Amino acid sequence: MATRFNDSVLVRWVKGILGNRKALTGSLLVILFVAIALIGPYFTYDPTAFLGTPISPPSFDHWFGTTGQGQDVLAQTISGARQTLLIGFCTGFFVILIGALIGGISGYYGGRVDDILSMLINVFLVMPGLPLMVILASWLPPGPLTLIGVLVLTGWAWNARVIRSQMMSYRGRDFVSAAIVSGERNIRIILIEIMPRMLSLLASSFIGASIYAIGAQVGLEFLGLGDVSAITWGTNLYWASNDLALLTGSWWTFVPTGLSIALVSFGLTLVNFGIDEVTNPRLISERKWRKHLPKSRLNNGITPVVRNND
Amino acid sequence: MRDVSFDIQRGEIFGLVGESGSGKSTVVQAILRTLTPPAIITGGEILLSGKDILSMSHREVLQFRWQEISIVMQSALNALNPVLSIHKQISDVLYTHRGLSKDQADKRIRELFDLVDISYDRLDSFPHELSGGMRQRVVLAIALALMPPVIIMDEPTTALDVIVERDILFKVLELRKKLGFTILFITHDLNLLLEFADRLAVMLNGQVIETGDVAQIGSGGQHAYTKKLIGALPSAGGKRKKDLLPQPKSLNFGEKPLLEVQSLNKDFVLSGFLRPKLLHAVKDVSFEVFPGEIVGLVGESGSGKSTIARLIARLIPPTSGAIRLDGVNILKSERTTASLEYRQKVQMIFQDPFGSLNSVHTVFHHLARPLIRHRLVPKSDLYKYIIDILESVELSPGALFADKFPHEMSGGERQRVAIARVLSLQPEIIVADEPTSMLDVSIRLDILKILANLRIKKNVAILFITHDLASARYLADRIIVLQKGSQVEHGYSEALIQAPQHMYTKQLIAAASPGWLSSKISDCK
Repeated sequence: MATRFNDSVLVRWVKGILGNRKALTGSLLVILFVAIALIGPYFTYDPTAFLGTPISPPSFDHWFGTTGQGQDVLAQTISGARQTLLIGFCTGFFVILIGALIGGISGYYGGRVDDILSMLINVFLVMPGLPLMVILASWLPPGPLTLIGVLVLTGWAWNARVIRSQMMSYRGRDFVSAAIVSGERNIRIILIEIMPRMLSLLASSFIGASIYAIGAQVGLEFLGLGDVSAITWGTNLYWASNDLALLTGSWWTFVPTGLSIALVSFGLTLVNFGIDEVTNPRLISERKWRKHLPKSRLNNGITPVVRNND
Repeated sequence: MRDVSFDIQRGEIFGLVGESGSGKSTVVQAILRTLTPPAIITGGEILLSGKDILSMSHREVLQFRWQEISIVMQSALNALNPVLSIHKQISDVLYTHRGLSKDQADKRIRELFDLVDISYDRLDSFPHELSGGMRQRVVLAIALALMPPVIIMDEPTTALDVIVERDILFKVLELRKKLGFTILFITHDLNLLLEFADRLAVMLNGQVIETGDVAQIGSGGQHAYTKKLIGALPSAGGKRKKDLLPQPKSLNFGEKPLLEVQSLNKDFVLSGFLRPKLLHAVKDVSFEVFPGEIVGLVGESGSGKSTIARLIARLIPPTSGAIRLDGVNILKSERTTASLEYRQKVQMIFQDPFGSLNSVHTVFHHLARPLIRHRLVPKSDLYKYIIDILESVELSPGALFADKFPHEMSGGERQRVAIARVLSLQPEIIVADEPTSMLDVSIRLDILKILANLRIKKNVAILFITHDLASARYLADRIIVLQKGSQVEHGYSEALIQAPQHMYTKQLIAAASPGWLSSKISDCK
C-alpha cells in the first residue's frame, strides 16, 4: 500500500546510524566480534584440548600462547565470545522486554495499576543487586539460563522505571488523546503509536543493559559462580587467576580476554553515543560549527560576526 | 534572514510584524547578539546612536546589553528564574551593572515597582506565585531597571489573555510617556500594532517586505502579503462583515438536541501532602448542541473550556453531571469506557497540529487507522476514500499528501490532516479545541472556512472552543461565554456581540475591538 517504507522511522534511523562516524565505528566493532563468535570456532583449535606445554608465551603455533592447562588461548578467547555475547544480548533483550512491558503498562494506565506496578519496580530497585546476584547464582544450578535469569531479575527494574516515566510523558500528548478519541484500542496505542517514538530510548537501554550484562556475567564467572566447565570470557579469567597468571607473569592468558571485553563494551558505548547524536542532531551541528569560529573563550553567549567579504 | 534594514527614530514605537518563521525574533537576537552558533552574523551593521553593535568587543557588548537596550520576552514564566525570588532577580541587574549597595538597590526597586504598579509586599514572591500579568510587569520592571533608551518587546503579550494584554499595553504606553524610551515591538498580531505603533515593518521569510507609517499600512499597504494580513481576521466589535464565512440557509436546527450537557462539574485534585486542594475547573455547566449547529465556547485561559472539550470527548471522567448524546446519558450507559459507537459519533480536533499527529506515521496511517477500527470502509476502497477526504479539506493532490510525514507539512496542512481524520469517521459532532490558535494569522481564516463549509455539506454539529471572540462571532451560531469554569452568558452570536449583558462579556468584546487603545493613547502621546 501507499506507505513509504523508505522514509519510515526504522529506515531513517538506520541511515542516521550509518552516517554517524561514532555509531558506525561502534557497530563495526560489535559486528566484528559477533562474526568472530559465530564463525571463529570453526577455524581454531579445540579450546578444551591439551595441545602443548602449559603456559607457553605467544608463538607461531599458538598466537596467543597457551593456558595453565595447555589449551590454546586464541581458541578459548574466540569460543568464549559465543556464550558471553549470547548471554549479554539475551539479557539485554529480556531486560528491555520486561521493562517495556511493566514500565509501559504502569505509565500508560496510571492510577491503581501504576500504584501496584511502581511498588513492584521500587521493591526490585531497592534490593541490593550484587549480593542477590551472588546468592542466586551460587544457589541455582550453574548454566547460561541461570545467568540470564539472575541478570534479568536484578537488572530490569531500572529500565522499567525509565520507560515508565517516558510513557507517562507521552500519555498526556495530543497524538495519544487523538488516537483514543478515534477509538483505537489501548494495546495498539502503546505498541503502534507510542513505542516507535521510544525507539531511541529502547535501543540505548538495550545497549546499556547488554553492557551491564556482559560485565556482571564476567564478574560472576570470575568469582566461580558460573559453570566453570563452560568456556566463556568470565571462566577464562577465572582459570587464569586460578593458575596464578599474575604471579607467573603469563599475561597472555588474561589480556586477550580482557581486551575483548573492553573492546565490545567500547563498541557498544560508541553506538550509544551515536544514537544520542542521531536523535539529537544539535550535538553534532554545534561541534561542526565550532571549528569555523574564532577560538575565544569570551565568545560564549555573544553571536560571532563572520563577514563574508573580509 | 537576509538584508534586513530599518531605522527607528528616538522615542517612537516601531513595530515588527511577521508570522512564525519570518525571522522577527532572529532580528532581535541579532541586535542583542544573543544568538548562539551555528548562527553567525555574516554582514551588515546595527547602529545604536551611531555606534555599531557588530564591531564591538565582547566586553563592550556585555556593557551595552541592558544599559543601552533591554528586552521584554514573550513568556514571563520562562524569562524569570523559577527558583529565585523576584527581589533577587531585580537586584541582580542592579548589582552587576550599577554596583549599588543593598539599600540603594532596594530604593531603586521600590521606584520600579511603583512604576509598574506592583505592590512592594510582593517583593519576596516567587514567579509561580504571581499571575501572568504580574509576571509580565516584573519583567518590564527588570527591563526598566537601568533606564535604557531602547526597549525591545518580543511578543510581550502573546501568552496573556486579551484583557490582561490590554492592561499591560496601557502600562507600557503610560511609562513611555513618563520616561520617553524608544520601543521596538515585535508581534505576529498586526491588528495590535495598528493600534499604537508609529511605524512598522512587515517581515516574510527573513526579509522585510514593507516598511511604512501605521496609517499607510493600515489602509492596505503595498505588498500583497500585507493586504492578506490586514484582511485576515475580522474583529469582535463593530458591524458584521458580510459573507466572510459561508452560512447555512436557515438557523433552524430542529427540536431535538444532539448533545445535551447538564450541570457538568469537574474537580481536579491538586497535590498537597496532607490536605489535597481541589480545583473546580468546570462548575455547573449546561448547554445543548443541535444537529448541524455550531456552538462557540469562549473563554480565557483557565476558564475550563478545554476541560469541557476533554470531558465531552471522554478523555477524562466528569465529577458529576450528565452528557446526553441523542437523549441517552452516556455517563450511565457506558460508565467506564466510551463505546466504539460514541467514539465514531463524537470526534475532536486538537489545538496543536504539531502534537496531535504522530511524527513516526504517515498521513495515510493517521487516516486509515480509525477507518479500519470502525470498519467503515472496506479495505479495497480505503486508499481511494482517504484520497477523497484529503482533497475535500483542500489537500490536493491527495495521493501526494497521503504519503507525507507530519514534519514534511506546514502547520496549516497538518491541521487539515487532523480535520480530515475527524471527518473520515463521519461524526455527528466535532469538538474543535482552539483549532486555529496555533496557526499563523493568514491561514486561520482558511481553516475556519473549511469548518463552516463542512457543517453545511455534512450537517455535522461543531462545538467550537476558542479564546478569540472574533472568530466565534463569525463561525458560531450561538456563543457561550465562560469565566473561571462557570457559564456567564449565552446567546445568539450577533445578538451577544451587539448587546452583551454581563460585565465580563463587555470587557472581552471591548478588548477585542479596534480602537480600544485610542482613548488612552490620546492622553499618552
